[in-house]
This record gives sequence, C-alpha cells and structure tokens, in this order.
Amino acid sequence: MPTTGHFILHSNVMPPITAGRYELVTEQVDLPFDVEPEHTHVQIAAPRYTMPTDQILSSFPPANAEGAFGDRLPQIVLKRRTLPWERDPAGQVQPSETPWLALVVVAEGEATLSTATAVRDCVTAGTKLLDPDDKDVEQGLYLAVTETVVKKIFPCKDDLPLLAHVREVDVNDTELANGDDDGWLAVVLANRLPVFDDAAGKAVRYMACLVNLEGQLEALPPPLPPVASFEFALAQDWRALASVAPGGGPDVHVLGNAQLGNVVLPAAAGLQGQRPPGAAGAAFAVAGAAQAKPVVSIDGAAKMDQPSVSKQWSSATQQVAAVALDPDAKRLVRDTMAQGFRLPIEAYAIEKVLRFPVLAHWSFTTNEGATFEKLMQELDIGLLGSVAEAPPNTPAAGARPEVVQTGHIGLGHRTRRGDPVQAWYRGPCVPFPTARDSNSKDEPLALAHSADQLRRVIPDGREDLALAAAFEIGRLLALSQLSVVSALLRFRGEQFGAGRVREVLSQLLPFELPSLKGERVDMGRFVALEVLNVLSKNTDRMIGPRRPVADPGRPLRVSGDLDQVIATGLGFDLAALRKRADAVGVLSALEQTSVPVALKPGQAPNEKLVVSALQAALQGELQRTLGVAAPAVPGVVPGVVIRGARGRAATPPPDALDALIAGAPADDDEEDRP
Amino acid sequence: MKALINAEVAIQAAVSAAQSYADIVTDRDPDDGEHVVPGELRRFLARLRLLHGVPFSYLVPDAKLLPIESIRFFYIDRAWTDALVQGALSVGTISSADRTQLEAVYPHIRAEVDEAERSIRQPKGEELLKAGSGTITGFILRSRAVSGWPNLHVRAYSRDVVADDALTTAAESDPSRMKVLRMERLAPAVLLVLFDGVPAVVHIEEPRQGIQFGVRIDPDGPPNERRVKVRDCNTGNPVPPEKAFTPTNSVPVPFRPNAPGVLNMAALRTRLATKAPNSGGTLEPNEYALQMLRFPFRQVFGDPDNQTESERFYALDEFKAKVALTTWKSTVATSLAKVNP
Repeated sequence: MPTTGHFILHSNVMPPITAGRYELVTEQVDLPFDVEPEHTHVQIAAPRYTMPTDQILSSFPPANAEGAFGDRLPQIVLKRRTLPWERDPAGQVQPSETPWLALVVVAEGEATLSTATAVRDCVTAGTKLLDPDDKDVEQGLYLAVTETVVKKIFPCKDDLPLLAHVREVDVNDTELANGDDDGWLAVVLANRLPVFDDAAGKAVRYMACLVNLEGQLEALPPPLPPVASFEFALAQDWRALASVAPGGGPDVHVLGNAQLGNVVLPAAAGLQGQRPPGAAGAAFAVAGAAQAKPVVSIDGAAKMDQPSVSKQWSSATQQVAAVALDPDAKRLVRDTMAQGFRLPIEAYAIEKVLRFPVLAHWSFTTNEGATFEKLMQELDIGLLGSVAEAPPNTPAAGARPEVVQTGHIGLGHRTRRGDPVQAWYRGPCVPFPTARDSNSKDEPLALAHSADQLRRVIPDGREDLALAAAFEIGRLLALSQLSVVSALLRFRGEQFGAGRVREVLSQLLPFELPSLKGERVDMGRFVALEVLNVLSKNTDRMIGPRRPVADPGRPLRVSGDLDQVIATGLGFDLAALRKRADAVGVLSALEQTSVPVALKPGQAPNEKLVVSALQAALQGELQRTLGVAAPAVPGVVPGVVIRGARGRAATPPPDALDALIAGAPADDDEEDRP
Repeated sequence: MKALINAEVAIQAAVSAAQSYADIVTDRDPDDGEHVVPGELRRFLARLRLLHGVPFSYLVPDAKLLPIESIRFFYIDRAWTDALVQGALSVGTISSADRTQLEAVYPHIRAEVDEAERSIRQPKGEELLKAGSGTITGFILRSRAVSGWPNLHVRAYSRDVVADDALTTAAESDPSRMKVLRMERLAPAVLLVLFDGVPAVVHIEEPRQGIQFGVRIDPDGPPNERRVKVRDCNTGNPVPPEKAFTPTNSVPVPFRPNAPGVLNMAALRTRLATKAPNSGGTLEPNEYALQMLRFPFRQVFGDPDNQTESERFYALDEFKAKVALTTWKSTVATSLAKVNP
C-alpha cells in the first residue's frame, strides 16, 4: 500500500484469462474403471459494448466542462484494474498486453455517435469477433468514422500499450482514490490533445469515446514520421450536414432533391484529386465509386445517388424504436450531450465508414487559454469591503459604491416615516478583526430582543443598520423553518417549564426535591425512595400497629386430670406409677415403667398391618384430592371415581358425533385387508 | 403544608424558574456529550453562524465589492453573527418571562454554539474539535476557476510549513493546519470558504480527481509546439532547472502530420527514453506515464516570499460607536443651541 499522497504506477495488470466462454474438463486417471470426464461451462463476464457506470471512477476533462484543456490528455479512470486487458483486440484467447479499449477524442463534425443500436451492428460490417454471442447488452452505441478520420486521429497499434496503465493509490487518501474500494485503478488515456482553435479563435467541442477495438486492429493507422508542430484543423469536417439534414428529414433524401446549396462535403483523403470539381456541390454519396456519375436522373430506374430508401427509413424507425424502448432518463441526458455528434455521415460518406462500439462517452469544450494556472494568477486579490480606486482619468461610468475604510457601505434606506435616507451597512465579512463584545467582561452579555435595539447612530448622524439587518435576517431564517421554531419553543418549554414546576412543587411539598442541575433524575426511583422515606417516618399512622413477634398457639382442650390423660395416651397404669413414685421419685418411677409398643426394636413390622394402613391412608388422600379437583357428581359410582375422566365422559347423553363414531367401521380392519 | 397554588405562588415560581434554571441539561447525547441546548437547535444556530442560508446580498452588499475574477479575504464580524443568532432566538419570545429566561440562558447558548460551529463540517477520519472557536476568517472567490474546476482543494495553514510545491499536505488535524469550517459554492462561479482562525498561508489547489497527463507549452517557444519535462525514472523527480525549458530537461512533443493535436506516442516514448535519467534505453508504459504526469496546480496566497504587495490590516474596529447615545444627543443639542440661539 503506498503512503498517503503517493501512488504507484504499473504498466498493466494482466488477467489470467480473457473474457469469454470456457469449458472446464475434469478427468480422473489411474482408476481401475473408466470415469466420464466432467464438462463444466464457465463464462468470464466483462463489459464489451457498454461500461457499467459503477466501473467508471472519473473522467478528465469533466463531462460537459468548459476550460482550457488543450495541454492535458483526456483520460478515463476505471475501477477494475484488469479491465483494459480482459479481451484481446486481435481476437486471441490469450491475454495480450495490447489493451482492447482506447479513448478516442473526436471534435464536433468529425464523427457520428449512433443512437442505441443492436450490438451486432455496432461494429464495422465484416469484422470477425471472437465470440459474437458474448454480449453484455442487447443494444449499444457505436462511433461511425470515415477511414480518413481513423487514419488521422486514432492511436496506432504500437501506441495502445502506452495509453493504458494501472495506478495503485492509498485508498484512504480520498483525494487520489476518490471513492475506489481497493485502491487499484486502470487508466485509459487518449492520444490527442483537445486543442483550441487558435486560428479562428473559437471554442471547440470535443467528445471522448471509450471504444472497443476488438477485431479492428488492422484498421488503425500505421506509424507516420513525426512533425514538430500542429495546426488546428478538423480531421474531416462534416458539420455541413447539420445545415442540410434538418430541412426535410428523410423525405427529402428519398425524393432526391435535397437542397445542399453551397455545402461542400468532405472527400476521402485519397480520392480528392479524382473527383471533378464541378461535381463537388451536388454529387455526394457515390457509394464506393471513384468516378463522378451523372447526378440528375430522369429515369426512375437509374441507380439512385441518394442512400437507398430502405436504409434511410429503417434507420429512422430504428432510432424511434430505440428511443421509445429507452427506459431511463440518463440516456436522454447523454443523447443531449452527444448533440453535434449525430451527423448522418454514414449516409453520405463516399469512403468506407468504420464503426467502433462505444462503451462510454462524454463531451467537453476547450475554450481559449484560461488555464487554472492563468486564472489563479490573474485573480484580483484584496480584502472584502475594499474597492479599487478608479484611475483618475477614467470617466465615472459606473458609480463607485460609497465604501469607507471600515468596510461599511452606504445604502439607500427608507425610514418608517417614508424618508429616503442613506444608511450604513456592513456584512458579516469585514476587512479587519473586530471585537465581539463591546461590553467589558463583568457585564452580562448583551442580548437584543428586537432589531431596533441594534440600530446605531454613528457620529456622522447616519444610522448603522448592519446588526439590525443581521438580527432581522436571522429571525426570518429561523421563522422560515418550522422545525426550528418548534425546537425553540420545545427547548424553552422543557427548560423553563421544568424549572417552574419544580419551583411550585418546592413551595407545596414538605420534602427536599432533587436537584435539576446534576444527574438526570429517575422519577420512579425518586418517588419510590421518597414514599419509603415518608412511610418509615410515621409508621403508626401510615401502616398501623406493629405485629407481635409470635402468635399464641391454639388452646388445647384437655378434660380431666392431665396426668391421667397422658398416662392413658401412653398406655400405662397411672396409679401404679404414682405408688412407685412415692417410693423412688417420679423420674425413677418413669424409667422403670415400660410403655407397651407395637413393634419392638429390630422386629420386622407386620406386613398385613402396614400395607392395609398405607392403603387406607392412600385411599383417603386420593378421595380427598379428587373431591377437591372434581366435585362429586351425583350418580357416579364412588368406586369408579379413580378413573374419573372416563367415568364422567360417559355421563352426558350421546350426541351426533358419538353416533358417527359408533357407526363407523373400524379402521384397523380395512388396513389389515390385503 | 400549603396545598394551594395561588397567583403569588405561580409568579414567584415563574420568576425564580426563569432565572435559576438556565443551565439545566436538556440534551444528553452519548456521542456529543451533555448540552443545555438541544442538538437540532444547536446545529441550526451553528449553521447560521457559518452564514448558511444568509442571502448573498447580505454578505456582499454591492457587486463592485466582488468584481469578476477576484478573491476577497475577510474576517467574520462576530458581533454580526451574534446578532444573527439573537434574531433567530427572538422567535417566539412573547412575554417578559420568556425574555428573562432567554437572557439567563443566552450565555450557555452562545458558548455551546461556539463549540458546535466547529463540528458542522466534519470530514471523515478527522478529530472533533471540542473547544470554542476564536476568530473566523475566510474568502470569497469569484472566478471561472470555480465553475470550471469543481472540487477545488482549499487548505489554510497557520504557519507556512508546507513547501509551496510539496506533493503532500498536512492532515486536517495537524496543529499547523486550520480547520475549514465551511466550503461551499454559493453560485456556479462563487466559492465561500471559512477558516477556523487567521491563516498565514492559503493554498488553493486544482482538483486531484485522477492526476492527469499532459504536455507543456514553452512560453518562449512557438505556440504550436509542446514540450514534455523529463523526470528521473527511479525517483520521479524532475530534471533541473525547474522552470525553464532546456534541451536537457525537456523534449519536443512529436505530432502526427495533418492531425491536429494527435501525439505520436511511440516517437515521444523514444525521445523520452533517450533523455530521461535511469530509463535504461526504453520506457515501460508505467515509466512513460510517469514522464507524462502533470501534477495539479497550487496557488499559494499569503506566503511572504512570493507576496509583493502588502495588504493593510487594521488593528481594531476604529469605527465602533464610542460615545453613548445620550451623551451624543446632548452634545448635538448644545451645539445646535450655539448655532441657533
């Protein structure tokens, strides 16, 4: 990754394979049996007739721009680094270092940009493409140029590798990367400087077209010996057609009496000398013929000099159809940009017209030498509020504004009484630093509530309305946005309202309110704490008397002598115990008295006794539970209660569903049947 | 305990609420911190401070103050922008209580808007400036350079640390670089830029969107010829001398005959290969691109080394009214009495 502010230039970035359809054959060998090879079809997709807009990062000169671009080569920056090498212009499968894309710059009148056309017609007829069915879009644009123009302005085959390269930039340096994702960019340069027409002093409109050179490398010009200087001239001037075409439309061409007037159409460079000069005004579109033919023909059967009817009408209908089918408006914009590049050269040119698919195009205008450098260096530099002194001898053409050294300007002012006076005004941009507050630091900040508070009268007796005007425009700007007005009122209501409620409450409530200035007050928590606080302070009034620590137990009902009851319960003879107690004491007497027990220690319990007791306990518990869960229904046999659900279901009288279930044959029988 | 809200209680509450709750925090933004003024209002007022939406005739009251093809530097009059904010705040102050409350809260509003106006324009990856701002300066550029070169780069430095022809720039958070508070095209050919502070040097740079390739015209040579300056293939540095075109540091551009402006790329490559140091006799496409690079142009304003005319600066506003209105009135009255006894 290059460091910020730097970038790395690479000659090219080759894709491993070119775009197109591939068949992947997978074979397995060294197996004891034969395995059919597997054929997988793979398509490597790449743009061919149109460049997706998300692949175009930027272009120079900017589209539709006007400026002195004459010293800079137009360029287009593409996001995918391998794009210029993804196809081979010579039609080979292997990638080659010659890019298939070229940026061609044509001046207005040199070439035609078509409207949307089926892609098979976007290349010169007879061009052999590697896989004609490999097309990314159904309709594309093409650039129609005569051979002469191609020879003059198209890059040579040897130039092509020099006109494309790859830049690696720091992706975080937005000034260089400008929104790319990986920092690798492919750049395609033009080979032509969009020069200004110095001789005529006119701005020249150029269109840059990113064209596809596939299969048409041979049409490119051979290298010519270089010359040291250039003269501005169009490679071929077809602008005359613009004055011809609008007159009658296709009808005029069909009927053969187009009024060409003095329009002279360009001839092929090589054919210039062979044309009789007299024929130049009228004889045009002699398709592929070197010699002039008689133009005026009475015989309708004679070969028409005009392009054939079907050719013209079909192109018109095709255009209409294409535009009608065109769904998006951005095409219309691009069409408008292509104005001036829509001359029907193909219908008139004598020489061969070549077609190159256009993947992207934009137009710009080169005007007289106002380069950025020149513009910036000729800027008039000064401080705002200063006006250059007029040279003493110039007539007072434009009244000089009344500007003083402080930057104030005298402006007409109509007072509220209607008197026209002059007042001083100064905008927010002043030629020297000003003090922000006129007051000393101890005083509160001055705050005006109305514009009149900011009107000042200065020693010369005129009013200074600068701050009052600022106040008014600020008020109007705030009023113009309803959201701001409501935000202001809400802010005031929130702050002032909260404060007022707190003040009222603090006078009414006996306890300390929370501070509004510190942390945000959690209302629920505050209320809960406050309630608990108050409750705890006088519990008797709020909650009631305290509950005793322990509740007294239920009084035992004992009838008769307590000793007698205990002795009966334990099953021993009280009289005998008492007698013995008299002799040896109560404790010893109790120790000596044996209490009859059901089971002696170590003796196995009587199973019959235990099981029956447990069963009785279980049954009793069950009855109680069922009695709670399902209150006894009259008519139910108590013994069936254990299987309560079924017993109760049988209770209601049978309804229709029951009858249906009863009447249905058993399913199981049917399934068992073979 | 009182359980009655009467007029006296209400008015006392209103009075003390208006005065003593000016610093209640109403806006708690986890990203932005705690503020008295709600965020939307704060941002609106800060944008207003940066003159968003202010009609252009309020900024430049007379077209003669900003002629065609001119650049005008200025200081922002903070009293003016404060008056602008006060005007906006005066919306909806109906009663005296509203105004009392506004007066109490205004210092907070002013301090917070001071801070907010520095974060209105916040480029990605740059630190947020937290403190309030001081002097704001700026310039208005009215030129075809604005309309023809959209996305000009404007940078201001408090110290002249970056060389005038340095390829890189200091980051926006660099202490020597001034933050651009606002940069906006007010009209197709009018650019308004505000800086946070008083810059020593201002750079205006041609947009870098895709560094371009091109040729140069020798000012002393024939107008129909072009030359290309040669660079060292290893370092990319141009061959001295920097300004002049000599046979050692530049080559004439070969053109295709009869074709206006079409370069003979192959011939140019050979010519460059023979001249460029460390070329090894031939130029790869990337080395060729290196030779053809044209870096963006940068105009430097304010560098004392290349400034010929000195601008006059006034220390303070000497024009501010220094005499109280009542004093001045009595002075006028006495002098009038002398004239017309």
